[in-house]
Amino acid sequence: MSVPAVKSSWFTPDIPKSPLMRRRMLWAYAFISLPILALLVFLLGPILFSGWVSLHRWDMLSPVSEMPWRGLGNYIFLLTKDRVFAKALGNTFLFAIGGVGANTVLGLGFALLLNSPVRGRRVWRVLYFMPVITAPLALAVMFSFIFDRNFGVVNSVITSLGLPRQPFLSAPSQVLMTLVFIAVYQYVGYYIVIFLAGLQGIPQDYYDAAQVDGAGKRQEFRFITLPLLKPVMLFVVVTNTIGALQVFDLVFATTGGAPANSSMTVVLHMYNTAFKFSRMGRASAMAFILFGIILLITIIQVRLLRDRAYGD
Amino acid sequence: MLRKRRLLVFLLLISLLAGLSGAGIAQDDITLTMLTHWGTEDQLAAQQTIIDSYMESNPGVNIELVTVDFGELRTKIITGRTAGISADVYHFYHLWLPDFVNAGVLAEPTQDGLSYIDENVAQGTIDAVSTSDGQVWGYPTEVNPYLLVYNKRLLAEAGYDAPPTNWDELKEIAEAITQVDDTGAISQLGLGVMAGWDSGIVHPFSALLFSNGGSYLSEDRTVAEFNSPQGIETLQLYADLVASGGTDPSISGLGDFPSGTVGMVIMAPWWRATLRAAEGIDFETEVGVAEIPVGPSGDAPSSIAYTWLFAVDSNSPNKAAAWDFIHWMNAEHDEGQGSAIGDFLVNALGAIPSFDHDQAAFAESMSDHYVSAFVAASAYAHPEQIVAGGQEIKTLLQVEIEAVMAGMTTPEEALASVAAQADAILEEQRMMAEE
Repeated sequence: MSVPAVKSSWFTPDIPKSPLMRRRMLWAYAFISLPILALLVFLLGPILFSGWVSLHRWDMLSPVSEMPWRGLGNYIFLLTKDRVFAKALGNTFLFAIGGVGANTVLGLGFALLLNSPVRGRRVWRVLYFMPVITAPLALAVMFSFIFDRNFGVVNSVITSLGLPRQPFLSAPSQVLMTLVFIAVYQYVGYYIVIFLAGLQGIPQDYYDAAQVDGAGKRQEFRFITLPLLKPVMLFVVVTNTIGALQVFDLVFATTGGAPANSSMTVVLHMYNTAFKFSRMGRASAMAFILFGIILLITIIQVRLLRDRAYGD
Repeated sequence: MLRKRRLLVFLLLISLLAGLSGAGIAQDDITLTMLTHWGTEDQLAAQQTIIDSYMESNPGVNIELVTVDFGELRTKIITGRTAGISADVYHFYHLWLPDFVNAGVLAEPTQDGLSYIDENVAQGTIDAVSTSDGQVWGYPTEVNPYLLVYNKRLLAEAGYDAPPTNWDELKEIAEAITQVDDTGAISQLGLGVMAGWDSGIVHPFSALLFSNGGSYLSEDRTVAEFNSPQGIETLQLYADLVASGGTDPSISGLGDFPSGTVGMVIMAPWWRATLRAAEGIDFETEVGVAEIPVGPSGDAPSSIAYTWLFAVDSNSPNKAAAWDFIHWMNAEHDEGQGSAIGDFLVNALGAIPSFDHDQAAFAESMSDHYVSAFVAASAYAHPEQIVAGGQEIKTLLQVEIEAVMAGMTTPEEALASVAAQADAILEEQRMMAEE
């Protein structure tokens, strides 16, 4: 029996010969074209428009046709003169590093615990996941009270232990880490679920074989769990990094970037620049710079983790 | 079956005709949307009463009220315009006027309206709602000077029977009022600031700056002047107050003064409704109002005052109707009765109305110990200087004042930095106007 040669690739599919099949294919393309058109109009269109706006000075009020041309002026200003942008970029990186690190370590740690035969496992899973489905703004308001310098619960606990009262959200030196804590509280449950799914996908046979060979728990974790979880790790790190670099709602509701821009993030600065100062061109340029940074970081992360994950 | 189908078609035709004729009737009606920031339950009810009264006397005109929080008002106006769903009537903060005018957002008032404003409003207030070319863009509403609002009980408990008149006394009294418990919690604060809110920080700073003989921008509004030696002294006052414990940016003057735990706040008159309803302080016996303490380089108390105005969107298809509605709200219909908006401003907010007839009609309501002090201050307070890009400059200054209070920078560095940025913004706006 001869094997037919593979003639097509993904971009040169076999064209059906019969008229019926051709008509069917035509319908298929017709249906596909609608979402593609919608994608072009509602996604690519705004992106291209933003790129165009980033080369202009636009207050969002004047007609688009009258936008004064600025060339790369907005980009140059942001990268050389806008001290708030530099500060916001630094804060955003710190927030992302802290948040991604904590979410990954805690997410994996709690997932390992919940994967073991611990009592009330389902209850714990629900409890950890509840903050994920809570409105971020509600959480932000709640934590503003919890971390209040004078009347917050956290300070009551700290002072009852004889430790000094902490300003948390009102101190430049503490505000960012406090925000990281709130973000981790909110999202760690999501990453626990992801890690848990990954853990449950690892066949028990591997652990049984390792135990036969005399491996301990640590060795099982290091040589079985961790390597086989790396694809999950890749997903967690990449998606969490992207989300952390775009943080907005939490900061907007808790501090608004205060005190003195100590918690200003790139997207919040972008929002203020666009809507408070009517500088949509500069805000669009900011969006493109952030996009470039996210893209670069994601490529680096994918390359590093993918190679290790799949052993290439 | 056929009969039923015929009946169905007949009914459909009837309803279609009825719908079309209804649409024909509706087309004769005018619907105006008014966007304001007065959004509490009482304020909404008071505005709706005004609207209902106008609609009753003007059949065929429907007014829809939309309110958003002050923090979102500018964004709402901008995004509404961009999306093509802008309101017909705006009530907005006058600092945004040059930006809106430059972008062609606003329609010019009618000649009759301009004459009415000219005849019934003080020149200083008219200037506050005009661009540099002298064009008036709307009906001015509330005039808000800043004064020192203080808690008489807390001052008395600290051993003072009179409010501070100069900065040394201000620092002394603020420090004396502040109480910190064994755990470091501030249970009582001398002077409350309003961190995180641009007006809450920059307006009190400006009031102190003017009382120290300083100025905000140059007279021609082309360069910043808040970085003068008087400005540096003013910001040093904030640093000194933080260092002595007289103030603390983590305590909200706006939220905690009404609860009776803050001794002094530099604030505007529209706070009266909040203070009257406050449970931590008795409005009649414990709330005092005093002039802004005079700084070492100043020779008399001074202050800053800002204004709001009603204006019409240039895209409104019903500009004439919109101006008519605004005029109706602000005009005095029966002699000695004041206007509908004047009544709302004085009695619902505690603010000072712009029109002379409102100030006369509601003189008694403004004669209480709280508002009367602000009325007196409105005579000498400096109107806030409005420029294109003014909101951005104000926010930059707010952040630097907070940075000084947080010990992140010095007054000299902070003001030099903002002034350089402000000058660049003013220069850019001038160049854009010339383009």
